[in-house]
Amino acid sequence: MSAASGNSRVESSGSNDAKSRRPRMSVQKFLQEWGVLVAFGLLLAISTWREGFDFLSFENFRTMLNSNAAVGILAVGMTFVIVSAGIDLSVGSIVVLAAAIGVTTMNWAAGKEWSEGSSVTLGVAATLATALVAGMVNGALIVFGRIAPFIATLGGLAAFRSVALAIAEAGEIRSSSSTLFAKFGRSGVPLAWQSGVDEAGNAVFKGLVNAAGKPLTLTYGIIAFIVIAIVAQWFLSKSRFGRHVVAVGANETAARYAGINVDWVRFRVYAIMGLLAGFAGLLLSSRMNSVSTSGLGLGAELDAIAAVVIGGTSLRGGFGRVWGTVIGILILAMITNILTISQVSPYWQGAVKGGVIVLAVLVQRGARE
Amino acid sequence: MKGSTETGQGSLDFICVREIVRISDIRAVNPALPVVSRTVQSAAIDPNRRFVAPGEVLLAARGVTMEYPGVRALDDVTVEFRAGEIHAVVGENGAGKSTLMKVLSGSARPTKGRVELGAGLGTLGRAAHDAHEAHFTKPSDAIRAGIAMVHQELNLVPALDVAENIMLGREPAGVFGFPIRRREQRARAAELLAMLGADVDPTRSAAGLSIADAQFVEIAKCLASDARVLIFDEPTAVLGEREASRLLALFQRLRDEGRAIIFISHHLDEVVAVADRTSVLRDGRLVQQFARGEHDEGALAAAMVGRDLGSIYPEKGVCDAKATPAIELVEFGAVGRSRGISLAVRPGEIVGIAGLVGSGRTETAEAIVGLREATGTVRVEGRDVRFRSPREALAAGVTYVSEDRKGRGLHVALSSIANTTMPSLDRYARVGGARLDVAAERATTARWIRDFAIRCARPELPISSLSGGNQQKFALARWLETGPRVLIVDEPTRGVDIGAKGEIYRILADLARKGLACIVISSELPEVIGLSHRVVVLHAGEVAGELPRERLTREDCEERIVRLASGLSEEKERAS
Repeated sequence: MSAASGNSRVESSGSNDAKSRRPRMSVQKFLQEWGVLVAFGLLLAISTWREGFDFLSFENFRTMLNSNAAVGILAVGMTFVIVSAGIDLSVGSIVVLAAAIGVTTMNWAAGKEWSEGSSVTLGVAATLATALVAGMVNGALIVFGRIAPFIATLGGLAAFRSVALAIAEAGEIRSSSSTLFAKFGRSGVPLAWQSGVDEAGNAVFKGLVNAAGKPLTLTYGIIAFIVIAIVAQWFLSKSRFGRHVVAVGANETAARYAGINVDWVRFRVYAIMGLLAGFAGLLLSSRMNSVSTSGLGLGAELDAIAAVVIGGTSLRGGFGRVWGTVIGILILAMITNILTISQVSPYWQGAVKGGVIVLAVLVQRGARE
Repeated sequence: MKGSTETGQGSLDFICVREIVRISDIRAVNPALPVVSRTVQSAAIDPNRRFVAPGEVLLAARGVTMEYPGVRALDDVTVEFRAGEIHAVVGENGAGKSTLMKVLSGSARPTKGRVELGAGLGTLGRAAHDAHEAHFTKPSDAIRAGIAMVHQELNLVPALDVAENIMLGREPAGVFGFPIRRREQRARAAELLAMLGADVDPTRSAAGLSIADAQFVEIAKCLASDARVLIFDEPTAVLGEREASRLLALFQRLRDEGRAIIFISHHLDEVVAVADRTSVLRDGRLVQQFARGEHDEGALAAAMVGRDLGSIYPEKGVCDAKATPAIELVEFGAVGRSRGISLAVRPGEIVGIAGLVGSGRTETAEAIVGLREATGTVRVEGRDVRFRSPREALAAGVTYVSEDRKGRGLHVALSSIANTTMPSLDRYARVGGARLDVAAERATTARWIRDFAIRCARPELPISSLSGGNQQKFALARWLETGPRVLIVDEPTRGVDIGAKGEIYRILADLARKGLACIVISSELPEVIGLSHRVVVLHAGEVAGELPRERLTREDCEERIVRLASGLSEEKERAS
């Protein structure tokens, strides 16, 4: 057609059949959306190839979940924090502070001749309360103090552990509870029951047993992780609070204009993060039945953030999924697992993990522009 | 410059003769073409500059088709853009204007067809001698070829000063880019700004520039890169009348220098006034092209929607002048932005607020709903209130629809459903908020889609996938869903095409008839006049005057509003 002649009417017939076409998905788009599942599948295949079909056993997954339950709980909380366009670098330090104060309180109560049950109860309450307060301090600094989350929680990262170190003079705090306190971290629900006795007089179990025929337990740690993850996924995708977190993370100003109490939403996110760090601290200190103030929870914030990012949650906020985070945790666990079995020096494991994190961000970059 | 001494200024019939440095440049020009020439001030001189005679095609889309999943945004569009022409592109929301601009500026690749560069424009830093296909893979390729796009969301770096922004990426500097010659940079920026007639201090920070000034800085940036083709996406949508006319005058100057200006606009009056050529898009197709003088607003509107439009303003309803005001402002103001505003709006009444950009209109509205610090009193249905947040205002039935749809009014990354129910989300909360009734949310969204005739096939997709007009309808719908008694709408039809405009006006008038008290803030005078029962004019944060209903029918009302808005007092007005 000639652009020079004005008023030239251009063909404008035809229907909009193109508009009803089904949307197609490119490979890139697919990876952005489901890359975490692809990576999970690949790692599963590699692991099975390296380690044989035993890798796919229930027992192996139970072990992986059990040793990562605490970091997993942190990562679930971190998903909310990151979806709200924030970050919490202090979670590892909250873990140690809460555990230190909890165990110290428990020991104090035991010293006052309290029964084991009541001193453990007090210790658990102190752990969770400390963690909640620490999270609320973070939230208050960020919301009311108007400090960037990165900076506020960087302060927490240094300060909370420092308090724990001061309490124990950088040493270890041993729990005074001989058996009860350690149960949270070590025992769980047995998945097999005794069905009889064999000729040698050993018990025979029915249900899920390990290679030696002993019953497997679903530890309280795993149960807590799974329950927390399911509840969190539900709340993030189906509840009013979750919708508000997404809205605040996607565009804080627009959320405020829409009448959302942005400050209250953000405060709660950090408070919940703190409380979950308390659960993680409880699990870890109970498993050791002591608290090493210099080592407990050290670097946990990085693993948690890594799992969230690998799981496809946007670091810019406004989008996230808890199930992705859970798979992110499993991916990190499998990588460690494979590297250990392949006898790769532990010094190199950090490099591999780092590479995986960067790769995850690269693949998912621009997923939601 | 060698070329300039040989040829002498003005001895040949092309632009900026004295800047020609290479024989190849002269070849690219057709000396037979008429003189449009004027010597550009030295500010714009760039030794690598390439010249083309007016009328020559600088940029063309040939058979361009653009398909997105499920949508064909452009369908076999062929259009040419010529040097020395202002080319307007109009069309309803979703007609494909923005997509076309994206293709032309290299930020999207067409599914089919090609973008052609005219002789004189070239990639890889070299001018080509003949027309050739553009191989843009990213916007910077287009910029290097001399095509610059001025986006609606201006892209200035707030941490840098104005001069640094203008010269960004082209800093005059020594070897290895160090050191930057700041004085030269400022001088050059100042020259460019002076050439544009912009009164902006090049040493000031880019943060806090008014939108109009920021736009001038953005244009200066394009000229610093010696853009020959300048593409503007709804440049006047964010400007007041005075700033808009300043910008349009600048378009004409840039055109006279031999550049090609392409601009999208919903303001048909300005299109008719300044465009040398106008292309009308509808449903992704180029349906008609007009040359200057061949069209009026009516013809354009008809071509856009494919039918004739009657008056787009609905009949104004009656309102009870004795009723208790739904909202009353007494000596109200936004701290630092406006003061002493007294105003009462009764149920059923639409009060327009006019004023230039920067007159404190938006800030006053934001202060009412608690987004800014306020002075004075607000009364809602006779009771004194002081909202501290939009949340409290919402609870009292007072809502504010922001002018900034993308930044504040909507969550563009979230679905249409989530956006619709955002302010009224409590209503869908079950089990204490642990569960949201998604089915009910979906039903509500579907109802608004039907009532407002919103084009939205899949409301679960991000709302950013919709055109501006449809987004605007959702921006209104989300607040109407809260059942407000007072609705403050800021720029209700910004970036909205004429068909959707009419629908939004009808919606507002209907709501008023049902007893809603409505405050309409707008930069578009016909809109304020056509919609409101009375119009309050703000100037520099204060009420400059009010036009009652009977004055709004008089022909001089527009002129009077402009006078009030620009600060001409009653006495001066009478004297003149």
